[in-house]
Amino acid sequence: MKVRWGVLTLAGVLVATACGAEAQSPTAAAGGGDGGSLTWAVETQPTTFNPQQWGQNKARLLVHNQFDSLIARGGDGGFLPWLATSWKVSKDGLTYTFQLRADVTFHDGEKFDAASVKANLDQFLVPGYNAAVAAIQLRNLGKTEVTGTHTLKVTLKAPDGLFLDFLSSPYAGQVSPKSLKNAKDLKAGGVDVVGTGPFILDRFTPGQEVHYKRNPNYNWPPAGSAHQGPAYLSEVTYRFLPEAAVRVGALTSGQVQVIEGVPATEIGLIKADSRLRFETSLNSGSAFSYYFNVSHPPFDDKRIRQAFRDAVDVDTVLDSVYQGTAKRAWSIIGQGSPQFYDASLENTFGDDPARANKLLDEAGWDKRDAEGFRVKDGKRLTVRTVASAPFVRDRRDILAQAIQAAVKQSAGIDFQVRLVDQGTALKAYEGNQYEVFENSRGDTDAGAALNLILPKGAAINRTHYESAELERLLDEASAGSDAAERKKLYAKVQKFVTDEALLLPLYVPADQVAYGSGVTGLTFEPVSGTPNSAYDVRIGT
Amino acid sequence: MSTLTLTRRRGLAAAGWLGPVARRLGSGLAVLWAAATAAYVSLLLVPGDTVDVLIGDGLDTPERRAQIVAEWGLDRSALHQYGDYLARLFHGDLGRSYILQRGVGDVLASQIGPTVRLALAAALIGTVLALALALATAGRRTWLGGLAGLSELVAVSVPPFLIGILLLAVFSFTLGWFPVSGDQGLVSLVLPAVALSLPICGVLGQVLREGLERALEEPFAVTARSRGITEWRLVARHALRHALLPAVTLTGWFTGTLLSGAIIVEAVFGRPGLGQVTLAAVTGKDMPVVMAVVLLSALVYVTVSTIVDLTYLAIDPRLRSSR
Repeated sequence: MKVRWGVLTLAGVLVATACGAEAQSPTAAAGGGDGGSLTWAVETQPTTFNPQQWGQNKARLLVHNQFDSLIARGGDGGFLPWLATSWKVSKDGLTYTFQLRADVTFHDGEKFDAASVKANLDQFLVPGYNAAVAAIQLRNLGKTEVTGTHTLKVTLKAPDGLFLDFLSSPYAGQVSPKSLKNAKDLKAGGVDVVGTGPFILDRFTPGQEVHYKRNPNYNWPPAGSAHQGPAYLSEVTYRFLPEAAVRVGALTSGQVQVIEGVPATEIGLIKADSRLRFETSLNSGSAFSYYFNVSHPPFDDKRIRQAFRDAVDVDTVLDSVYQGTAKRAWSIIGQGSPQFYDASLENTFGDDPARANKLLDEAGWDKRDAEGFRVKDGKRLTVRTVASAPFVRDRRDILAQAIQAAVKQSAGIDFQVRLVDQGTALKAYEGNQYEVFENSRGDTDAGAALNLILPKGAAINRTHYESAELERLLDEASAGSDAAERKKLYAKVQKFVTDEALLLPLYVPADQVAYGSGVTGLTFEPVSGTPNSAYDVRIGT
Repeated sequence: MSTLTLTRRRGLAAAGWLGPVARRLGSGLAVLWAAATAAYVSLLLVPGDTVDVLIGDGLDTPERRAQIVAEWGLDRSALHQYGDYLARLFHGDLGRSYILQRGVGDVLASQIGPTVRLALAAALIGTVLALALALATAGRRTWLGGLAGLSELVAVSVPPFLIGILLLAVFSFTLGWFPVSGDQGLVSLVLPAVALSLPICGVLGQVLREGLERALEEPFAVTARSRGITEWRLVARHALRHALLPAVTLTGWFTGTLLSGAIIVEAVFGRPGLGQVTLAAVTGKDMPVVMAVVLLSALVYVTVSTIVDLTYLAIDPRLRSSR
């Protein structure tokens, strides 16, 4: 493998040099674990490089090159030390005391200490800096006090089981207080918004690439890292190639060594190529699901919701659209969040056209029109989904068409799919002009996703379903910090929404990477399921 | 430019070059003024408070609001504001992007280079290729002419991003002659420029060939043939001049295709440029940037069509002589 990769890289260098293009660093071919430069093609250019403004799951893999968070997550979903070496939570869940590393320096030479953490937390309270985070993730934040050079006390207004999750997210990426004050363009980030991470962002060309060089002083990786000390790679370039076919071609021709975002149609090709490796990981958060709007007919009738859910053979549909590469979901929480996922729901519903038809007959939709759709009082059994085109990914438009065909054929339901612009979609949601709402969320704590979707009046509660019982479960689960207890509560939540047939879970979103076989150390973040930073990555060996 | 204008000009152009040039510059300025006004009106028409619109997703603090009010003079009367806006434009001040928190002029200036290089290269390749194709195949009812016509049709109907991916698959991924992405000198310009030039070449080639063939059937061609000049000389020296006029008329369309095509081609090839800026500004509702892009497109359009109209005068002396 090693030889073959060497030859491939060498060929790449020759070609690139012959063309006068930017030549690969010769160390790339030499490998050896020290030095080497890597080019990684990614699908999405981040809207910002400031971790505290982060909002795209796809930008996660870049964030931790430049910034370290206060705490990390382990494979079991537990919290591990990072820039904070330890923390204590008071009995009432209101006071968090953090011990910080004393040996950490920002890229601009500033020392990392309790004062800088306070500056970062306080920055979120600056009006307009990140209103969404201030209002949601940090709604319970009281005050932050520096109690020693490297100790810090945070007081919450109410217990919050999601606070540690926040401190392990990119939002808790520590920015040098100097750049918080002086950055030319704080919200967009860039070369003058600096962190403490293993790489230093030194060049960003919009639409083309972002370039990082190694931070030679780095010695504070999160617990659970594969190595200590500085990163292996001396530099890493991320190229923005939005077109999937172009990314795959760039990889197979050796022009880039890693790609992120591999479409289902190309996976077979990559797996068949012995020079390439393919890996995928399920994302955390909520599964991609069709949520039913219960505020008006026909989904105000639970039987119709159950019938829609039973009318679809999800496995067959996923197979035809994703060629067997998609993981079927069974619950509002996906299998990518194993700490909360309730596996007992598997195979308890779905793919039962007989039951679907019986339920529809019972509900009075027992006649058919000329086209085979069910009718009642002269009205056709029609349900509509409205999808905003900019957010359609993973061929979800094709998936909708497959489901449309399935529910028509097996139960006579008229499922209408509309793909519109963002403004029109919002208007339809606000005007309650839809019956199906499609969504998935990549939150590392699935509870955060449920808090946005399920409670009455929540930001994306588009089912309009209300239940005091459900809200009590959610409140208790978000406030608690005992993992086992939370798991029990979320199991009840999942059972509840499944029994109520509030949604049709479809698949668990996933991230994929493909890379030349000479590349090692590429891993996924254990909880989010997105690719890790380039810290452990190397070429050769 | 319609034939109507041409006819009228034929009657009016009294002082040779001077009149048409002055008139053309005047109407160019009028178009720019109209574009600036339209951009300004669109800012007022976008739903929401003007300060909200200008801030977009940017930092929203009372200080910044005050700054925007002062900068745009939003506390003054609408007419006064409009006047200020035009005055600022006149001094080359395009305003500030409140999302990127930089001057719009800066934003565009930093990205315009790669796009101009791409557009110029594509225009050059498209024109040369179309000319060569038309000259080689006009009037010859052979398989060669048929083939050229067919490829032109394909070039016009296939979307640029598909052309781009095809070119990459062959010349970058398989043959390895060109790098896939970026802006790394002349080599990385070749494939994107060709992808962008093919639709232009397709349309231009068809128009040129038709023009040539029409010219070859005119009486002057018969006369020339009777004098015994070679067919090649007839095409190149006499017919081409006639065929050029309709082709040159297409330049406006041509400029539009280059500008809109650049957005797609830049994305496929992962190139920096105005395309990215425009896309981001439109999706992020970054109005100052959107307005500046509108103005810039108008400026390019006016400049190009002015040059084109002056080229008419050079190609066809009848247009500048009085009677």
